[in-house]
Amino acid sequence: MKNKINLYLIEYAINAILRQKAKSFFIVFVFTLLTFLLTSVFFITSSLKYELDATVDSLPQIIVQKIKAGRHYDIDEDVVDTLLGIEGVEDAVARVWGYYYFANAGVNFSVVGLNEYEKQYKNSFEKIVKKIELEKDDKSFMVVGRGVQKVMNKSYYKEYFNFIKPDGTLKKVNLGGVFDADTELESNDVIVMSKDSAREIFDMDEDKATDVVLKVANPKEVRTIVSKIKSIYPDTRIITSDDLKVSYQNIFDYKSGIFLALFIVSLFTFFIIIYDKSSGLSSEEKREIGILKAIGWRVDDVLKEKFYESFIISFFAYTLGVGLAFVFVYMFQAPLLQNIFVGYSQLKTDFELPFVFDFQTLFLVFFLSVPIYIGATIIPSWKVATLEADEVIR
Amino acid sequence: MIVKKLILIVFVSFLACGVLNAKNFMKKATVTPVLVQKGTQKNWCPVCGMSLKMFYKTSYTAKLANGTPRQYCSMRCLVVDMKEYGLDTKTIQVVDAQTQKLIDAQSAFFVVGSKVKGTMSKVSKLAFKSKDDAEKFVKKYKGKIVDFKTALKMAKNSLKSDIAMIAKKKKKKIYPMGKKIFAKMCKKDIDLTNYIEINELKADIKDKKLCKHLKEKQLQALSLYLWEVKRFGKVDKAKETVKVTKDEKCPVCGMFAYKYPRWAAQIFYKHNSHEHHYTFDGVKDMMKFYFNPMEWGNYKDFNKKNITKMLVTDYYSQKAIDARKAYFVIGSDVYGPMGNELIPFENESDAKNFYMDHRGTKVIKFSNINAKEVYKLDE
Repeated sequence: MKNKINLYLIEYAINAILRQKAKSFFIVFVFTLLTFLLTSVFFITSSLKYELDATVDSLPQIIVQKIKAGRHYDIDEDVVDTLLGIEGVEDAVARVWGYYYFANAGVNFSVVGLNEYEKQYKNSFEKIVKKIELEKDDKSFMVVGRGVQKVMNKSYYKEYFNFIKPDGTLKKVNLGGVFDADTELESNDVIVMSKDSAREIFDMDEDKATDVVLKVANPKEVRTIVSKIKSIYPDTRIITSDDLKVSYQNIFDYKSGIFLALFIVSLFTFFIIIYDKSSGLSSEEKREIGILKAIGWRVDDVLKEKFYESFIISFFAYTLGVGLAFVFVYMFQAPLLQNIFVGYSQLKTDFELPFVFDFQTLFLVFFLSVPIYIGATIIPSWKVATLEADEVIR
Repeated sequence: MIVKKLILIVFVSFLACGVLNAKNFMKKATVTPVLVQKGTQKNWCPVCGMSLKMFYKTSYTAKLANGTPRQYCSMRCLVVDMKEYGLDTKTIQVVDAQTQKLIDAQSAFFVVGSKVKGTMSKVSKLAFKSKDDAEKFVKKYKGKIVDFKTALKMAKNSLKSDIAMIAKKKKKKIYPMGKKIFAKMCKKDIDLTNYIEINELKADIKDKKLCKHLKEKQLQALSLYLWEVKRFGKVDKAKETVKVTKDEKCPVCGMFAYKYPRWAAQIFYKHNSHEHHYTFDGVKDMMKFYFNPMEWGNYKDFNKKNITKMLVTDYYSQKAIDARKAYFVIGSDVYGPMGNELIPFENESDAKNFYMDHRGTKVIKFSNINAKEVYKLDE
């Protein structure tokens, strides 16, 4: 029965908080701001990290590009035959893709050509070719992302779209379908059509491709395969998914540095406040403890009351901060703060922060703030409470 | 005026042609090709099924001993047929790469190893009637001029590696493609035993509309799949990976095997009409157990005689393969979870390739693995 929460003590604690309105408000404000800042930054980073991992995982293991005069050039499609001959290569796909500028709306579409009978290098494409025939009765069909559909609708292209070929003539492609909503992140600006149509739109030779992607069954072999390709085709640039991961990670780490500065500054502020608080109580607070002791409170009653008081304040501020961060990051997409991480299309320009609930982060912030604040309140109170009542009041 | 204009047009178009020719050499016929075989199947090579029009400039004609005319897409197919049926060498004719006319192969000049890619071979062999044309071609595309006999010998010598090169491409790319096309576009009741050669099959698919309209490349992939996989069963079934559950520990080292799926190996054995298995995190541990199971605990139920199958993970394909038919590389610079390993491969060529790439010391078969060598790996 001893451990039962004493409601009178809680009532007293709440009254004590309300009695010192200005001070309590100030503490709640600073505390909320701190947790808000920390959690929103943590939320953003974990969201981006998730996004990053998802992007990197869907990347092909090896990309082979032909380089001529330091620039990317179309590669011969029969390179695929040679690459398939390398031991350890499971599959090689010649990709045909590029950007199509739609002047009417001033936007770029990513046009991707697929061969329906090939093994696709992305799962979302595999789904599409299963559902929709890209060439039927001499007509070309395409599957577009939701963003593309919106733009086309605005220009009254509802059933087909006329692509302007490099020679000025038109290529009519019928709308065959729209990407599933769950792939919006990767497919927003994508148009998928048959390889032949894509080649026609880009005026590419029939035996050429934009680049070649390889699938390697054993990731340990990637390095050996890369060095082999390099010796067979010295004029190629070979990008492995590890390279991409590193460069993505570099950008991310650089951005994280800015965050670290922010983090240190806010933490420093918090600890100064804590230090200020724990270095001593005001004479008014001392007197309060003295009176309480004089009217018969025991030391542990005083400490309990102080504990409730600080816990209510800090926990309230913590929840408020986390709640605000939730709203700020996931409902408003973190204006201002997101720019620190995402700016200048280095990662990806137009996308929503995916919702990732990270318990660890919340615990980290909780233990960084709430117990420290409680400790900083209780320790000085305990020092005072152990003194004789008359000594304190005098 | 008109004459002047005409001359100008002729001149310009001539120039344009010259530019185009210099850009790249096309093997496709630019004149109406002479096709000597009968029926619709005359459009394709009877050996490999490729379009003769597309590879006209590297194509050959010959007569079988019974006088049946044949036409091949390349010297490679000519050589294959020669081995199988024994052609009358005197009847062999080849298309002149310059004039695109059939000429006698014996007296033709062959340019080998030029920049032009070979048809079904790593090295291209193009024929010319006049030496002048051949020399002009060499100037432009490099290569060496040889006579028919030498070219034929080269083709014979490289046949094995050429077949291996194409076999890989077919297995990884063309058969799966053909299978998909067959499933989506074709009637399922095609009787393959009706045909003697692949070009007859192609002709029938086209003439009798056994499939919906296909492009030449798709038709070729489909025919190769039907011909080589469905009729002659060239590819083995799709293999699975070694299945490991999360609670299985390696009996030798005690580590959880599921953490190292790339190295998983299993021994299945029968005991009292039940099949049991042990999973290992590498071939080395499996072999240690195989040689002396009692050293690793009380495995009395296990007996070498009761082993039903042994699976290891192929290093390249990551699929489960029969350990007793596999090839192992020892002493390479690739390490498994337990250090030095015996790296398993399904094919000897893969094992040899790995042996070269990763500085192995030895390629051995399962029956040649001995305990001493296995334990030496730990040193």
